Amino acid sequence: MKHKKNSTAKLNVLEVTHLTKNYREQKAVDDLSFAVSEGEILGLLGPNGSGKSTTINCILALLKYQQGEIRIFGEPMTPASYDLKRKIGVIFQEVAVFDELSVYDNIDFFCGLYITDAAERKAKVEKALQLVGLTKYRKYLPKQLSGGLLRRLNIACGIAHEPELIFLDEPTVAVDPQSRRRILDNIKKLRDQGATIVYTSHYMEEVEELCDRIIILDHGKIIASGTTAELKQLVKDRSVKQVVGPTLNDVFLELTGRELRD
Amino acid sequence: MFWQNFKYNLKLILRDRSLIFWTLAFPLIMALLFNLAFSNIENSEKFEPMAIAVVENAEWQKQEIFQKAFAALSAEGEEQLFHTEYLSETGAATALENEEITAYLEFQNGQPKITARENGINTTILKTVVERIGEQSQVVQEILRKNPAQLGELVRQEAPNLKDASRPHLSYTMVEYYTLIAMTCLYAGMISMTAVNRFLANMSLSGRRVAVSPTPKRWLILSGLSASYLVQVFGLALLFTFTIFGLKVDYGENFALVLLLSLVGCLAGTAFGVFVASSIRVSENAKTGLMIALSMFGCFLAGMMGITMKYVVDTNLPLLNQLNPANLITDGLYALYYYDVCERYWSNIITLVIITLVIICISIWNLRKEQYDNL
Repeated sequence: MKHKKNSTAKLNVLEVTHLTKNYREQKAVDDLSFAVSEGEILGLLGPNGSGKSTTINCILALLKYQQGEIRIFGEPMTPASYDLKRKIGVIFQEVAVFDELSVYDNIDFFCGLYITDAAERKAKVEKALQLVGLTKYRKYLPKQLSGGLLRRLNIACGIAHEPELIFLDEPTVAVDPQSRRRILDNIKKLRDQGATIVYTSHYMEEVEELCDRIIILDHGKIIASGTTAELKQLVKDRSVKQVVGPTLNDVFLELTGRELRD
Repeated sequence: MFWQNFKYNLKLILRDRSLIFWTLAFPLIMALLFNLAFSNIENSEKFEPMAIAVVENAEWQKQEIFQKAFAALSAEGEEQLFHTEYLSETGAATALENEEITAYLEFQNGQPKITARENGINTTILKTVVERIGEQSQVVQEILRKNPAQLGELVRQEAPNLKDASRPHLSYTMVEYYTLIAMTCLYAGMISMTAVNRFLANMSLSGRRVAVSPTPKRWLILSGLSASYLVQVFGLALLFTFTIFGLKVDYGENFALVLLLSLVGCLAGTAFGVFVASSIRVSENAKTGLMIALSMFGCFLAGMMGITMKYVVDTNLPLLNQLNPANLITDGLYALYYYDVCERYWSNIITLVIITLVIICISIWNLRKEQYDNL
């Protein structure tokens, strides 16, 4: 990574201001504002349909939005912000690779969209293969990989070009504990190398382990934000019944409710 | 960047078995079926020269163009339309009565008159020929001066009823092969459409990953288009090899120009696929259906299911066929055959190139800064 983590300089890598996105009449994201500083891992939590993925897709300039401003590295983010896009990596919720290409070719193709120099790209692809532990599977087709290996390939495709800002949208869904451990370790490595990360997940223990700060979204709005300790204290303070040593899961359920979501 | 994307586009295309079947193998199967279906019809319906007579009187002696035209049309060989006897008026009437001839032609006061036993297809053919020679005496005169053998072609080309019933080059099969070439060219659009869909965020998950990358869409489109074109050119090469060496199809003397038109047509087909992928926001299946339907409809209007359709559209809705890539390809091939290298052939090629450039520009513009309402 180009930027080593530096605790003295905390620039805002990402700034979202008054973001509003409607799907027809329904507000998916409602006047959302937050910032992510350099080297930080921000956890975006929320029940299904709370607006996490929509927020990320708006930030990436994939979705149109009705109102608000998005700045990355201080520059406004638009579909034609090619210099900004070069610094961004995305790991989508679903595995987004080509079934017809081998593990190596998939990483090489996506990395090639960012890195034009063949020698530099080759080195980065090898590094990514190593990072996610897929070196020996390089010639495999995606259909020959297990769910956990596929998730690791998905991550490798998103980070091979060594981005400075990474969006990870539920990267550990449906993987076994061993693969999850590996993926979490990889994310820590990326952070240690200086990357700024926006991380969404439904697994509270992951968020607690990884994230420096957490934003809890519901119905497109921020309902709470802070460090894990701050959120736990918030629940302790507002709870009618005495909650003893709440976990982040308790915090989440307390804030977003216990009724089922669509 | 272009070559990297081109390489992977090529890999992706070649590993898509369904796409390869429909674009490379399907035209070969169609060619084989056409050959099996139409070769027998052709043999059984091969045109036999018609026995006629011309009344050789003083009036006939004044009709220099008709004399030369009938001599050319009665000369032995593939082009022969008539067995012509030159008789007196009585002799012609007797021959008709004895059923030695189908009809006879006589000039009275400078006007041609046809007397026939009955009004059948042969009488219609003779009437059509006489009318066309009369109407286009200047053109006929020019052809007779340069290449009398082409007169039969002109007569057949101007009289659609004759087209299906006469010589091999105007057979059902040749018409089908021409439209099959057009279909193969347009099917290139299936490949390019699939290639561009892979880069669209609303079409595929991998498309989302591509859409957030810093690679401008124009490079992705151009690399997808180039890889698709290369694959379909290979498909065309297979089709030509199979039809020429396997099915013994004769594409005439200007084969290089047949190839040139096919290559340009293939480029137009490829661009058409890019246009559908980039300009129409429906599901991938709907786009595929639309591509097949438009390609087949274009070929239908160009005469794939019967040459009469092309004639009807050319006559009543000429603009439609002037903008129909399938017709521009088949029409260019007809023109090439009838007139050698002619204005119509080059005009069709230029139109195809213009259509291609316009739709590529529109496609790039459409995708330039694309954002979606939902994904």
